[in-house]
Amino acid sequence: MKRQIPILLAIGASLYPVVAFFVPTRGVTRFNQTLDEWMVIIASFALLLGIVSMIQVNLAKVRRRTSGWPFGLIVLVAFAIMAAFGVFGRQGARPDGGLYPFTWVFQFGFSPLQSTMFSVLAFYVASASYRAFRVRNVEATLLLIGALIIMIGRIPLGEMIHPVVPDVAEWIMKFPNTAAQRGVIIGAALGAAAMSIRVMVGIERPYLGKS
Amino acid sequence: MHWAKQLLLVDRRIIFLLVFLGALIPIIRPIGLGVQISPPVEAVFDAVERLRPGDAILLSFDYGPSDGPELDPMANAILRHCHKKGVKVVGISLFPLGGVDMGIARLNELATELQAQDGTDWVNLGYKDGGQAAMKAMGEDIAAVFPTDVNGVAYRDLPLTRDIRAYRDMKLAISLATSVLGEWWINLVNAQFGIPVAVGTTAVSAPRYYAYMEAQQAIGVIGGMKGASEYEELVERAYPELKGLSRTATMGMDVQSIVHVIIIFFILFGNLMFLLTRRVKEA
Amino acid sequence: MHLQLPGFGEWVAAFLTLCIFSFLYRDNVLYRIAESIFAGISFGYYVGLAKLNTLDPNLFRPLLGDFGAHWSLLIPFALGLLLYVRYIPKLAWISNWSLAVYIGYYIGVNLLQKLHGDILPQARGTMIPLTGGWGAVLGGIIVFVGVVTVLIYFFFSSPHRGPLKPAARLGIYFLMISFGASFGYTVMGRVSLLIGRLTFLVHDWARPLLLSLMGG
Repeated sequence: MKRQIPILLAIGASLYPVVAFFVPTRGVTRFNQTLDEWMVIIASFALLLGIVSMIQVNLAKVRRRTSGWPFGLIVLVAFAIMAAFGVFGRQGARPDGGLYPFTWVFQFGFSPLQSTMFSVLAFYVASASYRAFRVRNVEATLLLIGALIIMIGRIPLGEMIHPVVPDVAEWIMKFPNTAAQRGVIIGAALGAAAMSIRVMVGIERPYLGKS
Repeated sequence: MHWAKQLLLVDRRIIFLLVFLGALIPIIRPIGLGVQISPPVEAVFDAVERLRPGDAILLSFDYGPSDGPELDPMANAILRHCHKKGVKVVGISLFPLGGVDMGIARLNELATELQAQDGTDWVNLGYKDGGQAAMKAMGEDIAAVFPTDVNGVAYRDLPLTRDIRAYRDMKLAISLATSVLGEWWINLVNAQFGIPVAVGTTAVSAPRYYAYMEAQQAIGVIGGMKGASEYEELVERAYPELKGLSRTATMGMDVQSIVHVIIIFFILFGNLMFLLTRRVKEA
Repeated sequence: MHLQLPGFGEWVAAFLTLCIFSFLYRDNVLYRIAESIFAGISFGYYVGLAKLNTLDPNLFRPLLGDFGAHWSLLIPFALGLLLYVRYIPKLAWISNWSLAVYIGYYIGVNLLQKLHGDILPQARGTMIPLTGGWGAVLGGIIVFVGVVTVLIYFFFSSPHRGPLKPAARLGIYFLMISFGASFGYTVMGRVSLLIGRLTFLVHDWARPLLLSLMGG
C-alpha cells in the first residue's frame, strides 16, 4: 500500500490532463477544470514546504551555537517579521497612499537586496571576459565573433559605426541563433517527454523519494 | 613578455572600478544616443496598435525585482500605449518571487501618471500559485482562479472584467517574463487556447524566444533593455503628447553602450595579452 | 527650490545596496548581515504571498463563506496539508500520496506542453517551403540545416562516426554562434541590473541628499 497507492495516484493524475485534451467532453472537461483549480491550492502548500527545513536548519544552528549562528538568528527574525506582516496584514497601497508593511518591506528591503545581488554579476562578467574568455579553437572563435557582433549590434554605437551593423546582428538572431535554439528546444522537449512517459507508466517514481 | 603576464594577473578590483565608472558617468551625464527599432519589437507594438478602444488584453507580470530595470520600462511603455488606445488591461502575476508587487508598483505609478482608473481602465488580479495549473484553468474561467482583485474586490464586481470570462474574451496576452514562464504562455496558453501571445523578456532569455517567434508561436519579442528602449521610442513617435515622460530604458542604453565597449575592450585586450604570453612560451 | 531629503525607505534601500556592493571589495560582516536579512525576508515573503493571494481568496474564504457550495475544496486542503506530514518520520510515507498527485499532474501537463506546444510547432516552423527571394531561401536552408545538425549533435545514443561526424561538428558551430549571441545578450542583461541599482543610488538617494545639504 505504501508503494502501490502513490504509483496509481501518480499514473491517474498524470493521465487525466492528457485524456482531457483528447476527449473534451463536458464531464471530462469539467473535472479537468476542477483539477486545475485544486492544483493551484496544492501548489501553494508545496511552495512553503522548504520553509520548514529552513527553520529546522537555522534553529539547530542557533541552539548549538555553531559557527555563524548569529546570521542564522538574523534569518529567523527577518523571516518571522515578514511572515507576520503577510499573515496578519494586507498587501499593496493603503487608502492614505502609504504602503502596508508587507509591501513596504518588499519594496525597500527585499527588492534592493535582490536587485543588488544580481547586479554584482555585471562586474564578474567583465572580470571573466578579461581573464577567462580565450580564443583557443574554432568553436571559441565562433562564440567570440557571435558575441562581438551582438554586443556591438545591439547598442546605439553599432548603428553609428555603420547602419548595416544592427541588421547583421538581427540576421544572426533570426537564422543561425534560431536554428540552434530550435534544435535545443526540440531536443530538450523530446527528453522531457520521454521522462514524462516514464513517470506516467510507473517506471520512474520521483515521489517515492528514498523509500 | 613579463608585462603581458602581469597585465593578465591584474587585481580584479581594478576591472570592477573601470566598469563602475563606465556605468556611473553616463548616469550622471546622459549622452542621449538614438534608438534603432528592430522587427520583433515593432511586431508587438503593431499588435497593440491594431487593437480598438474597448478591447481587452492580459498583461502578466512574471518577473521580480532583479529583472525590474529591463522589464519595468516595458511595462510602463505598454501601459501608456494601451491607455492611449483605450485598450483595457487585465493584470495578473504568476511569478512567485515578487511578480505581484512589481505589478502593483507599475499599475499604481502609471495610474497616477495617466489618471487611469483601477477597475475600469485596468485591474490587478494579483498573484496565483500553480503556474501551468492557473494558466490552464483561466482557459475556461478566470474568476475561478482569481475570485478577487489584489484589493479584495470580487471579480464579478469589477466593471472591466464583467464580460471577460476566459482567454477567448481577450485579444492578446503579453507576458513580461523571466525564466520559463514566458515559454509556458507560448507552448501552453497559445498552443491550447489560441490567444495570440507576445513576450517581453530579459536579455538573458531573449535569444530563445526567436525560435518561437519564427515559428509564429509568438507575435513578437521585446528583449531586454534594448527592446524596452525601442518600445518607448515607438510609443513616443506614435503619441508625441507623451514626450517628456520617463524613458528609463532609453537612458540606460547610453550606459549599455559605454560598458559594452569596455567589456569588448577587455575581451580583445585579454586575448591579445594571452597570445603574447603564449608566443613567449613557444619561443 | 527646496528639495526633500531621501525618505526613510530610500535610506534603508541605499544602506542595504551598499552592504551588498561592499562584497566587491571583500567579504565582510555587513554583507553577511544583508545576505541573512535577504534570506529571511524571502522566506517570509513566500508565506505572506501564499496566504494573501491563494489560500485566503481560493480556499479559506470560499470554505468559510459558503461551505455547502465549496465543500470539495477540503480535498486539495487535505492533500496540501498531507505534504507536511513528511516531517513526522513515522507518518512520512503518507505524504507520498499527496506528492504523487502533485508531481503526476504536472508530468501530464508537461508532456502535452512539450509535444503539442514545442516539438510539433517547432518542427513545422523548420519545414517550410524554400520560396521567396534569395534571402528567404538562404535563411530557410540555414535554419533547416542548423536544426538538423544540432539534433544530430545531441544524439548521443550512437557514436558520431562517418557522415554523422561532420554533421555533428556543423551542429556545434551553430551552437557556438548561438551561445555567443546569448553571451552578448547576457552581458546586456547583467549591465542592466547594475544600471538599475546605480540609477537608484544616484537619482533617488545621493542626488536628493547632496542637493538638500547644499541648497536646502
